[in-house]
Amino acid sequence: MWEGMIGGMMTGITTTMIPINIAMVLMGCFAGSFIGMLPGLGPITAVALMIPVTYGLDPTTGMVLLSGVYYGAIFGGSTSSILINAPGEAATVATALDGYPLARQGYPGKALAIAAYSSFSGGTIAVILLMFFAPMLAKVATSFQSVDYFALMILGLTAVSAFAGRGGVLKALLMVILGLMLSTVGTDQTSGIQRFTFGSLELLDGIEFLLLAMATFALTEALSIVLKRDASSDSLKPKMIGFKSLKVTKKEFKFITPTILRSSILGFFVGVLPGAGATLGSFMCYGMERNLASKEEQEKFGKGSLRGLAAPETGNNAASSGSFVPLLTLGIPGSGTTAVMLGALIAYGIEPGPRMFVERPDVFWGVIMSMYLGNVFLLFLNLPMIPYFARLLAIPRKIMVPVILFFSLMGVYLVTFNDFDIQMMVLFCVAAMALRLMNFPMAPLLLGFILGGLMEDNLRRGLMIYDESISFMWERPTTLGINLITIFILSLPLTRSLLSRFRKKETPLST
Amino acid sequence: MAREKVGALVILLFSVAYGLMATKIPLSFLSRQEVFTARTMPYGLAVAGIVLSLAIIVLPTVDPSGKKSLSDETRGMDWSTAILLVVLMLLFGLVMKWLGFILSSILFLLGGFWILGERRIKRMIFSAVPLVLILWCIMSLLLGVYIAPGEIFYQLGVF
Repeated sequence: MWEGMIGGMMTGITTTMIPINIAMVLMGCFAGSFIGMLPGLGPITAVALMIPVTYGLDPTTGMVLLSGVYYGAIFGGSTSSILINAPGEAATVATALDGYPLARQGYPGKALAIAAYSSFSGGTIAVILLMFFAPMLAKVATSFQSVDYFALMILGLTAVSAFAGRGGVLKALLMVILGLMLSTVGTDQTSGIQRFTFGSLELLDGIEFLLLAMATFALTEALSIVLKRDASSDSLKPKMIGFKSLKVTKKEFKFITPTILRSSILGFFVGVLPGAGATLGSFMCYGMERNLASKEEQEKFGKGSLRGLAAPETGNNAASSGSFVPLLTLGIPGSGTTAVMLGALIAYGIEPGPRMFVERPDVFWGVIMSMYLGNVFLLFLNLPMIPYFARLLAIPRKIMVPVILFFSLMGVYLVTFNDFDIQMMVLFCVAAMALRLMNFPMAPLLLGFILGGLMEDNLRRGLMIYDESISFMWERPTTLGINLITIFILSLPLTRSLLSRFRKKETPLST
Repeated sequence: MAREKVGALVILLFSVAYGLMATKIPLSFLSRQEVFTARTMPYGLAVAGIVLSLAIIVLPTVDPSGKKSLSDETRGMDWSTAILLVVLMLLFGLVMKWLGFILSSILFLLGGFWILGERRIKRMIFSAVPLVLILWCIMSLLLGVYIAPGEIFYQLGVF
């Protein structure tokens, strides 16, 4: 095991340390921080916006760039959360709980620096854990058959729904189904039969993944800023941060170190769960730290506690790295952002899954090792740049929104050179906007869309192998095991609601 | 009506239409004999979509934010600006082929700035023109991607 890992690490180091990949890590971190910092734009949008740039690149270089964008965007999102209380996305909401009050108390630099150190530590510890766990899981998964993959994909899709908020399970499942429906548009890969193309030549190859990602995330985010008259981007006074204010004392470091260690481990394992992602990671770490804190310290939470800031920041970065485990080993995305990255991998012609570990070790280990480098870049290069980056927040939305819309549309047009795609993007954007207004989440839709084709292929193959019988779902031990996990995860929300009803009934009796 | 239920109703109608359209997927004689055809997955998805959306409509709404009515949620929103931006994007798609990348992109950005309330012409031009030209230079000169000029230039005999 150790020999394989050391060999893999060497492959990763040699892959990452070529000038183009170093440049891409750097560019990814900068671009991610830049985009992630804009209110309303999160890592999914950042990664989707950068995919067109990667199409001309080698798959490893492309993935290295996208990974850099991912954790750069998480880092950037914290900056807008701390400075103007406008989280770029859900994963940095918990950061704003204590980061913003700390900034309001006159310590914006300190809050940003603690966020940066926590992100660095969480990301680095999680990458070390990733290095150990990913190859182990990938080795086990090489014995998987089509039917196991089918079961795994069902698990991935249901897990995303199970971790949806209160009352959100059915909605998330419905969005997964909607995504799967969209994936059936185009020519059926096995039979060559056209489905739902309405005689249009443009739909023969199906809907472009990038088009759907841009329409449902980048365009709708920009439009919702306009719809909600969100003027938060105009409210920052960038002069308030200087280099000197970024200092953190030794005592403060000592104080937050145990928090960082605990949150790194919890965040990583939460991130590994398919569908959980950075949001759940950050909130769970925040909750854990609050529960562990003394009563006196607990009262400081929400009012500018250093531990309250360090925990979610460490947690969301560790979970981001953790979500790469199911992506790289099983080809199942752990979060909305890794779902977009999975789509990019497929677009590069790489079949994600355990075979990638054997067939494309350069991609597998290159991504892992580039994360080390990315974390270093984020800390040593991005931290001093924060005062400059923050000026971006002062660009008025009347300039920023059309620019975001332009880049989103161009991101697709400059790949396909088909003006029909622009029309289709606008159509999807309007539909996605309507669904968002009706409180339906978009990430499960994208996940369903990406996994739809693979799922159908694997089911079809499985049925051919097992004489057109679905008995493999319970006869094959591996498939049965995965199915039992799916049933367990699906039953979690039901169990939770039953438990809470039971507790509610008990409370009046006890008082 | 809770906004979630309105959404579920829309998806229910979509699922029914999807299921009906799935019956029109052509099948060859040989594929009709198979258990898993090109229609199988769409049928399954249509049924799942109908069942889930009906469940959301019938079951009580648990999510507090989902209980809000659609009119409550959308009250005070800047619809006119958003609709104008959507129309601008559609126009951008329509004129792209005719005006070409540079001209249509500059016009799109200028239009976007104007719709969002920017009235300083110099600022608008100095934001839009360099951005489009830099992107064009990166794509054409740096990455070697050929971006065809608009049809109008061929019609005018410029190219």
